[in-house]
Amino acid sequence: MSTSAISIQNLSKEFHVPFRREPVRAVQNLSLEVPAGEVYGLLGPNGSGKSTTMKILLGLVSPTAGSSFIFNVNSKQVESRESVGFLPENPYFYKYLTGLETLLFFGKLCGLQGKPLQEKARHMLQTVGLSDAADRRLGGYSKGMLQRIGLAQALIGDPRLLVLDEPTAGVDPAGSHEIRDLILQFKSQGITVLLCSHMLNQVQQICDRIGVMNHGKLVAEGRLDDLISAPNQTELVLENASPSLIEAFGRLATDSGARLLDQRKPHADLERFFLKITQPKPEAPSTPGRTS
Amino acid sequence: MTAAPKHSLFSSRRVLALAHNTLLELIRLKVFYFILLFALLIIGSSIFTIQFSFQNPLQVLKDVGLGAMSIFSWLLGLLCTAGLLPKDQEDRTLYTILAKPVSRFEYLLGKLSGVFLLITLAVLLMSVVFAGVLGIREQQEIAAAMQSSSPQTLALDLEAIRSAAFQANLIPGILLILLKALLCSTLTLLLSTVATSSVFTILTSVVIYLIGHVQGIAREAWLGGSETAAALKVLSAGVSLVFPDLQLFNVVDEIAVGTALPMALFWQVSGLGLFYILVYFLLAQVIFASREL
Repeated sequence: MSTSAISIQNLSKEFHVPFRREPVRAVQNLSLEVPAGEVYGLLGPNGSGKSTTMKILLGLVSPTAGSSFIFNVNSKQVESRESVGFLPENPYFYKYLTGLETLLFFGKLCGLQGKPLQEKARHMLQTVGLSDAADRRLGGYSKGMLQRIGLAQALIGDPRLLVLDEPTAGVDPAGSHEIRDLILQFKSQGITVLLCSHMLNQVQQICDRIGVMNHGKLVAEGRLDDLISAPNQTELVLENASPSLIEAFGRLATDSGARLLDQRKPHADLERFFLKITQPKPEAPSTPGRTS
Repeated sequence: MTAAPKHSLFSSRRVLALAHNTLLELIRLKVFYFILLFALLIIGSSIFTIQFSFQNPLQVLKDVGLGAMSIFSWLLGLLCTAGLLPKDQEDRTLYTILAKPVSRFEYLLGKLSGVFLLITLAVLLMSVVFAGVLGIREQQEIAAAMQSSSPQTLALDLEAIRSAAFQANLIPGILLILLKALLCSTLTLLLSTVATSSVFTILTSVVIYLIGHVQGIAREAWLGGSETAAALKVLSAGVSLVFPDLQLFNVVDEIAVGTALPMALFWQVSGLGLFYILVYFLLAQVIFASREL
């Protein structure tokens, strides 16, 4: 039997607004399961209830009805957070702390101390590529660096579940690409990831399953392939195909009862193009004895 | 099924980490410039008393020093505590901290402990500055007495100077000043758990500070004779119980003239102060624990 990293059952949350008779229903009868080791994307427009669901999972808000569990521990209990690492949207950490001090602080909150904490903090800085900025105050960090230190603090307690709220918001494509690679690395280490993002392209690249929320309800859920693929269509990409060959394909398709719907030149992914022209190229190996 | 991770309900390490971080935050905000102001005030008062005072200059200096210490420690606690919770919530660092295995009780206790450490450190530094200036002034007075006093009166004059200088009987008074500042900052923390802005918290805390200094009048109305109207009696009882009598902590005047504070009174006032700190902190915890973040 596979363990559920997240189990949400009939969860509802209502907020009472002053001078308004009807409460605002932020989440309505939500149920979902995220098995351990999966990358799950929670999508939805602004105000759809994603953040409230996340806050309930983290014990920051209490549900009006229903319950939520993290690795079988009710998320109302503080001990459920032993298994969780959280990166909030646009994180603002203490600006007066350096990168290393930030990780030491959060590590202490996770019960780490002494040499193991120092080693763990240094290792985390290396993992997110901030070793060189370890002794710089966070006030001088760029947006991308803040997101990466945020990821490092989320990971410092060796969580089994990572909850990431817009981890690439405001980050440039190169930084965004690095964060995506890190998430895939966490997945390969068996860490479950709950990802809330508006970057649909990125969600598509890294999530195993997605859930779409709208007006507080889960309106669609499933494996990405099942949700977005057209089961009765097939894509072929040919190289050096002559117009006559394409014409022959069309005739063959018609003869066999199929229909050639579209033919176009495939475009490179814009992000890949951007990275190709902005990332530094690897240097050519130097020739011995040659001087410039 | 995965076994639930072991978690201790209360960890002094987590509280210490939060307290240390709060202290560091406040120190790096350069709040200790406050102490510089205090030092300038005391040194200025010392010079002023040489030139203009007609009273015993050491007594005037003690009066000014202890009064300033009381005001500065209260203000420091008020300003540092009022912004703690709103700033953490605004910056969302509160979410990041509470998403760790940290209870709200530990968070609140850690934050308050950080402010307590800061106020204690500030009172200690102010006491050192105060004792230093008083000591220098004492030496100046002794040197002046040696020159101007007649041999018959010299011993008496020196005794009068020494008894007006920094003595051990000042320490209980300074401790009560510290306790008053701690009590007021706990009250400010309680207010910040319900308030939506730091400005509201500061203003309300100042108003309560003022009420606390006239609370004795309300208590007299409550405990007074039967001629007091019933409604007024209930109101006075409410004011007397909810707000601490801060006037009890004002022992500066007595100490400045050299009167030793009776230890029984010191322990009574200390006990009352600690009781209010505990009650206000527990109330703050109850409100903060049920707050939607």
